[in-house]
Amino acid sequence: MSETLRFFLLQTTLLGIVLILHTYLGLHIIRRTLVFSDLVLDQLAAFGMLAAVGLGIEYGGTEAYLASLVAVIFGAALLALLKPSNPLIPREAVIGILYALALVASLLLGDKLPGGGAYVTKTLAGSMLWVSWPLVGVTAVVYAALLAFHFAFRAQFIGLTQNSGKIKNERLWDFLFFTTQGIITVLIVPVAGVLLAYAFLMIPAATAAMFTNKWKGAVVLGWSLGFVSCLAGLGASHRYDLPYGPSLVLALGALFIGSVFVRSVLPRRIPTNVNEAS
Amino acid sequence: MGDMMEILLLPLLACVLMTVILGFLGIHVLKREVVFIDISLAQIAALGAITAHLALGAGHDSVLSHGCALGATFLAAAFFAYARRTVMDIPLEAIIGVTYAIAAGATLFAAGVATGGHVHIQGLLAGSILWTTWGQILSAMVAFALVGACFFLCRSPFNAISEDYENARAKGIRVVLWDFLFYALFGVVITLSVRMAGVVVVFAFLIIPATASALFSTREFPRLIMAWGIGIAASVMGLLSAYRWDYSVGPSVAAFLGLLLILAALGRSCLGRANAQLKKRP
Repeated sequence: MSETLRFFLLQTTLLGIVLILHTYLGLHIIRRTLVFSDLVLDQLAAFGMLAAVGLGIEYGGTEAYLASLVAVIFGAALLALLKPSNPLIPREAVIGILYALALVASLLLGDKLPGGGAYVTKTLAGSMLWVSWPLVGVTAVVYAALLAFHFAFRAQFIGLTQNSGKIKNERLWDFLFFTTQGIITVLIVPVAGVLLAYAFLMIPAATAAMFTNKWKGAVVLGWSLGFVSCLAGLGASHRYDLPYGPSLVLALGALFIGSVFVRSVLPRRIPTNVNEAS
Repeated sequence: MGDMMEILLLPLLACVLMTVILGFLGIHVLKREVVFIDISLAQIAALGAITAHLALGAGHDSVLSHGCALGATFLAAAFFAYARRTVMDIPLEAIIGVTYAIAAGATLFAAGVATGGHVHIQGLLAGSILWTTWGQILSAMVAFALVGACFFLCRSPFNAISEDYENARAKGIRVVLWDFLFYALFGVVITLSVRMAGVVVVFAFLIIPATASALFSTREFPRLIMAWGIGIAASVMGLLSAYRWDYSVGPSVAAFLGLLLILAALGRSCLGRANAQLKKRP
């Protein structure tokens, strides 16, 4: 029993920590329609890891993490700098193309590495079951630091979303925004896999954004709804012996689809400034 | 030389077919800002196929499996059309992106229950365009022609909705119905193309030529011709270099599409500067 209890405690602690920052960053991403940016950074982190393996570094070692951090920072710079001025090209299209190219580069590199294909799939699924306390500790410290950073400069970051084009050094703040997103990507993807990390980022935030246009309210709402559904997923996966990561995604997904229908029967709100700006 | 022609002829035909239909659809996708639609629908089709395999024991290439894949994309098309109309607080792109996550989670879930699911996922991603058969080419040709005809017949409501959703609604166009038809037809094209070429390549064919053409023109017809030219050029170069240096065909074509887009963007910015200098001179 105590073994089960420890497992649950560990998982819920990690989920609780991860969901705070992910919900907040997800809100920015959804309100700005930059849905693809997370997949770009995920894929670049995986590409960095893969390139490190190509150079003879062990998969999952410290140096491999550094390589993926470098790839992610490079990606953050590209995401911040490449802004089409042409009204016919949405920024999301450019980000989508970056994703495709990062994926293609990984696949082509995987072609020439012995066992490359296995690494490509390895980054998709993750291994959430093998979480340990030291990892939770490191994650907590890094997340707390990033959260403090985002809180200290919230005026700038929220300005990026609400009055884009009106704040100073917009590209620099964009770069810093994507860099923080990249750092959590490098940390969380080897554990949770690309898919679960993406679901953590998008689903609680998208659910909350349907019901409120305040920042604080949305983070609290998204975090609580997301946390409760993750607990449901965790419980179901443990009770019925279902695959763990995908169970979490499905529990979050059920939350989202349910919310879409709830939203559609509720009276419509007047479109907000946030939506007009994005 | 003869050998090479024999190996590359069918992949080239497949690429040309996809260029023609996806280049056209890409222009609509950019206008609607639903860049994620291809990846999302492809994942949903895969989920339909894997569910058919698990629940009904359908074989990989059976009619039942294709039918379930299409059925799943139609359901998703109805959901997107409905959500676009009723959920105004978040962009449709976010809904499509989240739907992708759910479908991918469900696919992994099913793959975890079934055996050998991971091979399926890898194949879905990279595709196997090199092994295209005449049967696939012919069925794609017929289906794409039908879809193309539908798009031609319905061009006025489709264009109106792509240009301006609210305006189209105000004019009395039944947006949910037309949107459903649009995304359902889209689903047919995506399901068939992804079976031939994999998600990444289809995505590249959809978005890259349309984006590159937007750099040079705002009118639909010249954009279409330009998109087709870029798509076909990249297909030929990608296939030849994959053959010469022994890389996977699909990713190599996608890489050339990306390269052509980068060249087009550089060319455009040089052109812009030259024009600006010309204007400065009296």
